[in-house]
Amino acid sequence: MYPLIQVGPFNLSTGGLLLLLAVLSGSWYLGRVAAQRGGTTLATQAERCFLPALIGAVIGGRVWYGLFNLDLYLQSPGLFVALRVSDFAWPGALLGGLLLGFAWSHGHRFERMALADSAALALPFVQVIASIGLLMSGEAFGLSTSLPWALPLFGTLRHPTQAYYAIAALLTGMVVAWIARKHVAPGTLTAVYLGLQGIAWLLIEAVRADSLVFPGGIRAAQVLGLVLLIAALMWMRQPQRIPHEPKILIQH
Amino acid sequence: MVERFFYRSHTLIVIMVLIGIVWIALTRVQPQAMLQETRAGGLTASQAAAPAPSVGHQAPDFMLPALDSQAVSLGSLRGQVVLVNFWATWCPPCRAEMPAIESVYEHYRDRGLVVLAVNLKEDPQSVGAFMTQYRLTFPALLDSDGQVSSLYLARVLPSSFFLDRRGVVRAVYYGPMPRSVIVGMIEQLLGEEP
Repeated sequence: MYPLIQVGPFNLSTGGLLLLLAVLSGSWYLGRVAAQRGGTTLATQAERCFLPALIGAVIGGRVWYGLFNLDLYLQSPGLFVALRVSDFAWPGALLGGLLLGFAWSHGHRFERMALADSAALALPFVQVIASIGLLMSGEAFGLSTSLPWALPLFGTLRHPTQAYYAIAALLTGMVVAWIARKHVAPGTLTAVYLGLQGIAWLLIEAVRADSLVFPGGIRAAQVLGLVLLIAALMWMRQPQRIPHEPKILIQH
Repeated sequence: MVERFFYRSHTLIVIMVLIGIVWIALTRVQPQAMLQETRAGGLTASQAAAPAPSVGHQAPDFMLPALDSQAVSLGSLRGQVVLVNFWATWCPPCRAEMPAIESVYEHYRDRGLVVLAVNLKEDPQSVGAFMTQYRLTFPALLDSDGQVSSLYLARVLPSSFFLDRRGVVRAVYYGPMPRSVIVGMIEQLLGEEP
């Protein structure tokens, strides 16, 4: 675990640096994907939509974390705006980013679905880098285990949940990229991304040791994961989204 | 093809909902589960007699000056549940967990909880400013030469040692602790007979 990198007199947070790198490279990659899929127009829209979505992600990530540590945050409300990289939660960030990004693109009459699909291709890339940051900083750590691939952390062998998240993001990115090569309706990539994200949360959070939980020990990310998965499946089942197949008329 | 798969799977959603709910219920966090990994099991008298900074052993004694210059001895706290937390102001995970420790301390100190925040090699002014800024009310001890931190093998910050009323190390936690872990451990130790 390398939570800090010493650069001269400064001790910099590894997780924070990797998160910053993830956001910057994600911004670049989103622009590139949007340009490939929709030309200059979509790339410009993606560029204009990035900052509001990022602000939504920051607010959502912190509010989500704060709500699940409400007693602490009510005691010190300044924590809601404190510069603490560890006090963010990805589920809240995803929701906040989606909502504000969608609202912004709706208000500006951008191509919402095309933008969301571009984001679905770029987000796994961001998550891989951010997960490596979590692994280096020791955050989002797993439960104790004796499995052969367990990593020593805080004095015991643990599930490398951060690595699981990185692998899940990598696989999600590969699946979404594979589907993107086919002729699919707008929004399909977004639905597939959200569905796979939901599955990842359902599975990986089960072995995470520092999950944010509802009363009764129910892990919040798993609940949202199930909601996302079901929403994605319902989206995919909409009849109007099925591409029309050419009818073959056989004359007798 | 992708859409067709989902469209044709009319029962898929119902099945997924059911499986998901069962899975979430089965994998929910058990309040004591996270503590089991470090809890002393089958503690023997000989184990408890040998001082060592590990679970099942008597906590090594130490005496350190607090911010107000009064020396605090761990041995004098026998009969109380003690959380020894090694930390530094420059350590982000330490800063992150401090509000949780303060919250637990305020809630349980009347029942016999003592928190000793052992600061690693920092000047009293920085430590004092930090304690004031975060409104921390438990005592901060100054490990100016790092000897106590070395004695407790606290190579990772933060490191937390939960001691029962007999002064035996009952759990060791490296890294920031979720509040649920602190509360779970303290509740258990306070509930035990002295």
